[in-house]
Amino acid sequence: MTDQEMTGPALVRDDEVTNHLRAIVAPPADDSYWAGLERRILARLERGQDEGRWWALSERAYQFGRLAAGLTLIVAGSVFLRERALERRMAYETVIESAAPTPQVFARRGLVPDRQATLRAVTDH
Amino acid sequence: MTAVALPWGQAPRRAVTERPADERGLVLAAQRGERAAFSELVRRHQRRAYVVARSIVINHEDAEDAVQDGFLHAFKAIDRFLPDQAFGAWLHRIVANAALDVTRRRKVRDADELPETVASPFRDPAEGGELRQRLTEALDTLPPRQRSVIVLHDVEGYKHAEIGKLLDIPEGTARSDLHYARSHLRQVLGAVRSGL
Repeated sequence: MTDQEMTGPALVRDDEVTNHLRAIVAPPADDSYWAGLERRILARLERGQDEGRWWALSERAYQFGRLAAGLTLIVAGSVFLRERALERRMAYETVIESAAPTPQVFARRGLVPDRQATLRAVTDH
Repeated sequence: MTAVALPWGQAPRRAVTERPADERGLVLAAQRGERAAFSELVRRHQRRAYVVARSIVINHEDAEDAVQDGFLHAFKAIDRFLPDQAFGAWLHRIVANAALDVTRRRKVRDADELPETVASPFRDPAEGGELRQRLTEALDTLPPRQRSVIVLHDVEGYKHAEIGKLLDIPEGTARSDLHYARSHLRQVLGAVRSGL
């Protein structure tokens, strides 16, 4: 389908309008403008690369940070496990100690006389 | 191809799919990171890129921003460009997208700003006469896609298929956009013409 078929004769290109449009959207004719634009574009590319390098550096820093965080986590984890093991051991020993039979227990069981059991209790403390 | 200086400072019209013989070499060099090669591509394509951008945005400053954004995107994406394709067509599509982004940003910015703080639009010194003034205003009221289609087709001589590829729209949409744009401009300018 051509423009003519679609728009009809009344809506074909209007040369006067087209000439005005051409003047409105015309690129600058001055060569110095284009030289300047080229410099600005290249300067932006340069800045873009610098930003890229900055991000690359940041990426390395990020990797280093991740490594450091990993090591810190390992150290913190091992300290935590050691602390927990120590606490467990202490709790176990406390239970063992408290579970040891007292002189009164011996006395109740008839293993020693009451008087001897009392004396043992006094001298033990 | 011999460059012919046109009266309005326009780059000679060349089909977007046309590719100078040595351009592939420049693209390959640019892909290897040779800055001088990319500079040469900028030098060769900036005028046509400006025309593409200017067809989409309302003023000169936005067109320049879009051209700069477009080249920056192209530079970052040049590794993904296939050297056997036409660099111009690829670049123009990037610039067109950058121009549409600029248009969207401007729309948001203008909506946020108070009327007193709206910057005066760029006025081409060559502008003059009521008809051109009204045409400029009428052009501003067109949707960006219709505006770019009428400029690219009627002023720059792009074919519907080329416009479709450039703006990522079906060829039929480019045709209907051209129809509505012409119709709108004709309607707006009708009153001016009858009064002249």
